[in-house]
Amino acid sequence: MNICLTNSQFLCSCIWETASGRSSNGRTCRPQRKADPMLLTSEQQEIQRSARNFTNTHIVPIAAEYDLKGEFPEFIVEEARKAGYLAMGIPKQFGGQDLSSVTQGVILEELGIGCAGIATAISVNGLGYYAPLIAGTDEQKKFYFTPIVEGGLSSFALTEPSAGSDVRGAKTTAKKVGDEYILNGSKCFITNGAFATIFALTDPSKGLKGLSAFIVEGGSPGLVVSKHENKLGIRCSNTVELVLQDLHVPASHLLGKEGDGMKIAMQSLDMARPMVGAQSVGIAQRALDECLKYFRDKYPDLRKIGQAIQFKLADMRIQIETARQIVRHALAVKDAGLPITVDSAIAKTVGSDTAMRVTTDALALLGAYGYSSDCVVEKLVRDAKIQQLYEGTNQVQRIVIAAQLLASLQPQTAATKAGG
Amino acid sequence: MSYLLTEEQQLIRMNARDFAKEHLEPRAVHLDKSDEFPATTIKLMAEHDLLSWFLPEAFGGAEVGYLSYVLGIEELSKASAAVASIIVNHMSAAYAVNRWGSAQQKQRHLPALIKGETLGALALTESGPSVGEGPNAVIATKQADGFVLTGNKSFVANAGRAGLYVVFACTDPLAGGKSLAAFLVDAKAEGLEIGLKKRMMGLRGRPIADVTFRNVAAELLGPAESGVAMCSELLSVLAIAEAAQTVGITAAALEHAGKYAQQRVQFGRPIGAFEAIQTMLAEIATNCHVARHAVYHAATLIEQGEPFSAEAAMVKLFSQRLGMHSLLDTVQIEGGYGYSEEMLMAKLFRDVSGTTIAESPMEFPEKLIAASIA
Repeated sequence: MNICLTNSQFLCSCIWETASGRSSNGRTCRPQRKADPMLLTSEQQEIQRSARNFTNTHIVPIAAEYDLKGEFPEFIVEEARKAGYLAMGIPKQFGGQDLSSVTQGVILEELGIGCAGIATAISVNGLGYYAPLIAGTDEQKKFYFTPIVEGGLSSFALTEPSAGSDVRGAKTTAKKVGDEYILNGSKCFITNGAFATIFALTDPSKGLKGLSAFIVEGGSPGLVVSKHENKLGIRCSNTVELVLQDLHVPASHLLGKEGDGMKIAMQSLDMARPMVGAQSVGIAQRALDECLKYFRDKYPDLRKIGQAIQFKLADMRIQIETARQIVRHALAVKDAGLPITVDSAIAKTVGSDTAMRVTTDALALLGAYGYSSDCVVEKLVRDAKIQQLYEGTNQVQRIVIAAQLLASLQPQTAATKAGG
Repeated sequence: MSYLLTEEQQLIRMNARDFAKEHLEPRAVHLDKSDEFPATTIKLMAEHDLLSWFLPEAFGGAEVGYLSYVLGIEELSKASAAVASIIVNHMSAAYAVNRWGSAQQKQRHLPALIKGETLGALALTESGPSVGEGPNAVIATKQADGFVLTGNKSFVANAGRAGLYVVFACTDPLAGGKSLAAFLVDAKAEGLEIGLKKRMMGLRGRPIADVTFRNVAAELLGPAESGVAMCSELLSVLAIAEAAQTVGITAAALEHAGKYAQQRVQFGRPIGAFEAIQTMLAEIATNCHVARHAVYHAATLIEQGEPFSAEAAMVKLFSQRLGMHSLLDTVQIEGGYGYSEEMLMAKLFRDVSGTTIAESPMEFPEKLIAASIA
């Protein structure tokens, strides 16, 4: 039975050709897929091609090195700025690209193929600027977006040591003094940036109803970047602890009103979660690419690849394509201006679970080679794991989805009771 | 489960546990970070009789059987799966010598393997589609006074540190893998070259490298015509021991995540009080329990001289699922902390992946299991 690699219609990247050249027998495993006519416009396909090119040029060659060092490749920020990826969701009037969510997802998937750590820097940058996008005044937007357009990264600081899945554990406070707020507390697992949206309690007695969102410039006195987290995966993504010691923030940097923080945070996460799904699809796609490359190089006679392996490869493809479409669906819902919370949670969960399953299946297929740093698959496994954890664990996504389901049964009470 | 174990076996398990707690656990993180071969630890283990297990008393071995062996490996793996893996590979080579060696070969190698003067290694995997196929396959050529090997083995555990290699090589290039035979090769033999140490995702501290043979003198081990069956038997023994490792790591991860779930408070209570977390913990505990007993059963079959290849394959298949699924969940339970390399769980996750990987994509356990059902 022939696996028909030569005429299959994989949505493909050019990674193999640039990273390892052609196989010795001259076969190219993944012919370029001409189009994705179902959903993507020709403009989106063009953007996809250029993102693929960006990934192959700037990310694939350096990803392993920065993963090993656990350092962020700073130069990528400038390249991303030039490519328009830093401000892709920022409106044109502020100098951004104003791309649709679907198009942004297409880009993140391509970046995820190259390195989920770098894709994270870009997607968290988005998460960081969604808050002003949602709740900022024009002046705040201009203040916050300009440095991003000019080549800075933004970040999103919600998580605290005692407030992971449960934001109610937040302890960071913002006390109003004159025309300033003074912030104290600490935030952990924060992807570092030049600018941040920081959440703090303006009225601790009200719990989450007292949470507010502030825009804070990186390098402000009182904002201490304390420790770079040494992580299992996305090791090149710069994850730090932020300590806020009498951090003075002008009152004009409050987003929305006092107490709007939770709403802003949740809406930001609703927008960001499908992006996690998109980069996860990229991780999974890379794992399949690597498996095919391995079989191309290892098996001169593809007919010797038995059904067990063929079916595994087919399962990977089925899962990837399913996840890709679910993610794009959620993003299309967003672009249509419809409520997105549940679709967003589903997209994040399906995307990240797919990345995890496909990468671990790839690891099982490739044996000791896949387990070694000779091969990118072990990195993909490590990178996939965080996708199930950050921007709301997949358990939290289920809480969100279940709450909505139960709320539809008992609109009055269930939504609040199902939490937890 | 203690009804299964004799007092001696319980004692052996306890001893292994104590040794692991005292000598392996405190060094496990350093071993992972440095990726340096734990030479003094291995020497100490020899002194504590932890390199002999089932090997006969006649050569200085403990001769306590295979069940005791897997009990020990499970305990060692809880503290340091890398060290346990070094031992498992060593014991696989020793198994081959003991099982198929001539009286003379046993006398020459077993005492040294037992005393830890010689570390054993198993060289099987090749870069071709399967062993014996591909341009770099190791070929054994008969000479007047024995055999010489030429070719390349990849991902050989204990490479560079081993004194004795058990190598499976083809005696007939045309017949490929069908002509496999086992050979003993002295690490000091001329023409044997160890490649660069590989960086692996986990089990760091256990050296892995390619081994190149250029006309290396080799001694036939066992009957040349039985090589395929020998290889399959040895892989089954290895699979059972690796499954014991998976069980050990999973048990350690479960204990760690269980404690974390009791301490970590979110939504006003320890996360362990949530049914979602309880479900995950219960699933892992159940699978771990089932896998453990399947491992003990398979080891008992070896001990009693019964056929064990299907059971070994089942244990391998099940532990593959157990290890990966469980550790993905224990990392998930510990959240951002589980993902941090400053904490234990990330290391356990990287380690478990290494105990469940296949020798080659073509050799999956389902094949052997299906073959046994006819």
